[in-house]
Amino acid sequence: MTRPLPAAREAIILPALFLTVAGAGGLRVAPGGGMSFVPPPLITLVLAVLLLGVMARAGLLIPTGLLGDHRTGLENASGAVVVLALFAASAQLFTCLTPDAGVLRLVFNLFFLFLLWNTLAAQPDRTRLLRSLLVVFGWAYVVRYVALAALADPQAGWTRRLLTVLLEGATSGPIEGEAIAPLAGYVAFATVALYMIGLVLLPRPAATTVALVAPDVVDAP
Amino acid sequence: MGAVKEALVRVAGLVFAAAYAAFIVSVYARQPSTVRQLAGGVAASVGAYRVDPVNFQEGLRFFRGDQFPEARAAFERADPARQDAQTQFYIAYSYYRQGWGRVYKDDALYRQGLEAVDRAIGRAPGGRLVVSDATLHMHTADELRAELQRGLVRELSDLNPMKVLEERK
Repeated sequence: MTRPLPAAREAIILPALFLTVAGAGGLRVAPGGGMSFVPPPLITLVLAVLLLGVMARAGLLIPTGLLGDHRTGLENASGAVVVLALFAASAQLFTCLTPDAGVLRLVFNLFFLFLLWNTLAAQPDRTRLLRSLLVVFGWAYVVRYVALAALADPQAGWTRRLLTVLLEGATSGPIEGEAIAPLAGYVAFATVALYMIGLVLLPRPAATTVALVAPDVVDAP
Repeated sequence: MGAVKEALVRVAGLVFAAAYAAFIVSVYARQPSTVRQLAGGVAASVGAYRVDPVNFQEGLRFFRGDQFPEARAAFERADPARQDAQTQFYIAYSYYRQGWGRVYKDDALYRQGLEAVDRAIGRAPGGRLVVSDATLHMHTADELRAELQRGLVRELSDLNPMKVLEERK
């Protein structure tokens, strides 16, 4: 059982949040200011399915709270929109946090794949999964939009030198950074934040009521 | 909240979600490369996009005076979101005329012309565009596209000396 969601949240706020993430996740802004929109690569669809599976297992996504025979047709349509928007947002969030090409793209995708697999096996609860996703997406954001962007920026100064020294010996060759406009970093930050807010707003399991019944007091003879 | 009000909220949500999703898909399909193009695309989708007539007329004046880079600059100002089929047709035509030569065609300009005419065809209702301008020799986007494509193809007939007698269209 889930706590019933207010209709406005389920029908308007959640689809708006997740569709915004789905739209903004593929936005790429070149340092020159040119924009492009990257559709989700196939691997991100696989990762999104896996992520939704993890969410369902952990109780973060409760399918019966959004779809089911106990709901009216209109309610089921709203619930289906939320699930579809969540799927699209998840796929595009991975697109947002993964480099577009090169070995790093493969490394990021493998990192997400194994991490989700591991989380699926660990069976965390709702709160722990939310924390775990925040850490995973947060680290991916920092690596892509802070570290890799600094490596590609010739004016990054000591940050770039520090990263180059840290990565020296870790790879057979130099790690190529990714030239990213500062605006892209802000958009990606907002995208991750909106996604996490959306997850928090998903239906929650109903609080279990525990009845404390006092044992019959037996009078001592 | 009453049952009717809740139903109304859900219906409104479904309509909103469908419209928003359609907008996102259209943005990904159109691939705007600037914020102006993105905004213009939104305006065009609701029928609110208008070409600036002053800049368009200026572009036409430059175009007819064979000042093609100047003409393109004016046309770009007139149609910053690249949503108007006719303006894109003239931009493509300017690439054709600038790239045309009696003994050779400028491939780079022809390719840009092809991109512009494809945009024009994409924006025209039903993909059919006819421009009734008496100063032009080609009045449809299909003719212009075919001419640009012919200019990009290398074939044996290019060596025909009679080709130098061909006129620019």
